[in-house]
Amino acid sequence: MSPTPDMDRIDAITSIASVVSEDDLFISSLGALRADWWNHRPGGPNGPDLCFWPVALGSVTPMALGLALALPHRSVYALETDGSVLMNTGVFCTLARQKPKNLTIIIFDNEMYESIGGIPSLTAFGCDLSKMASGAGCENCETVWDAPSLKDCVDRFGHDDAFGLVTAKVSSAVYPWPNEKRKPTDGVEDKYRFMRHVEASEGRVVHRVETIEHRAPAQRPSAV
Amino acid sequence: MTGTGVSGLPAMERVTDEGHGALIADRFFESLRVASVELVAGLPESLMRTVFRRLLDGVPGIPYVPVSNEAELPGIAAGAYLGGVRSLVLMENSGIRQCCEAVARLSFSHQIPFVLGMTYRGELGETNWWGHSHAQTMIPVLQALRIPFTHVRTPDDMVGAVDLAWKHADSSQWPVALIYGGQAVEH
Repeated sequence: MSPTPDMDRIDAITSIASVVSEDDLFISSLGALRADWWNHRPGGPNGPDLCFWPVALGSVTPMALGLALALPHRSVYALETDGSVLMNTGVFCTLARQKPKNLTIIIFDNEMYESIGGIPSLTAFGCDLSKMASGAGCENCETVWDAPSLKDCVDRFGHDDAFGLVTAKVSSAVYPWPNEKRKPTDGVEDKYRFMRHVEASEGRVVHRVETIEHRAPAQRPSAV
Repeated sequence: MTGTGVSGLPAMERVTDEGHGALIADRFFESLRVASVELVAGLPESLMRTVFRRLLDGVPGIPYVPVSNEAELPGIAAGAYLGGVRSLVLMENSGIRQCCEAVARLSFSHQIPFVLGMTYRGELGETNWWGHSHAQTMIPVLQALRIPFTHVRTPDDMVGAVDLAWKHADSSQWPVALIYGGQAVEH
């Protein structure tokens, strides 16, 4: 029988936040996790937009993989949930082949779809996500049930120059964030803010804007 | 060229010459260089088999991410874009059905651009009974997703197509599709 989780999501998030930095990049799942990480991320609520929240269950880890491949010198973290990972477990096989050294997957597994009322997910019936990833060929896959172990695991995986995946078994708890503490932006603004953070921190252009006005005067259309 | 293809295109004779796959692959990788594409993610299929073999063997400067399900591809491409890297998704046209949900989420909810390259299984002359549904559903699905698309019909057409698609995608902040068919695929 599996141990009972000895941490809720806030315990887990604060332990993660203590071993990552403002230089790191994050792709996070949605639900209650959005406000939790927005308030506890490195730099705090007024810190940089170092996280993107795709409203796409099953695409969180693929996005983190794409980002990690694009920026191999940056540490990238996927903040996953059991519901999101279960939607696209084939990505474990993809990760096993790619072995992105700068990517760490952290799965918050509360064994339920908490945001819709706590209906059990399939991890409540014995599905072990870390074993699935390990079976797919991923190295460094662990499961933890308490915050000190999670902190140790993320600290190792985030700084060991190797891929890592940790399933954090967490108890059910939705922190009652007041509205003023919730992220006030929609998905399009989230994209631009994250993109601008990458551009500023990398010194590279992501969104290439090239209108007629960008041309040299001699190359612009002229009145006849 | 005579008659019309399944989607209203002129019918085009198939090329089955030995070496045609190599020509397609040469033009394909040239198109990536022209477009400054630095990553390909895809799921192998037969109409671009020489391209996929080269990708698996390794192409300098073009890391390849093979997946087991096309639903992974939009996320990988979107993540790469946000990291400042242009990618190309490569799959059979049936893949647009498989990755439809991820495309819809990342485009309608976030307006993240990427380029979807797909082979035209089921175009006029298709001999595989299972291939026709791919053609019958491809354009309706692309239209439902409001994805602009264009057909790439010859090896020479391939060279500038990815760059044009990326310019369109980047300035519109929306995905664009390239449909490789005619003599731009190997039979």
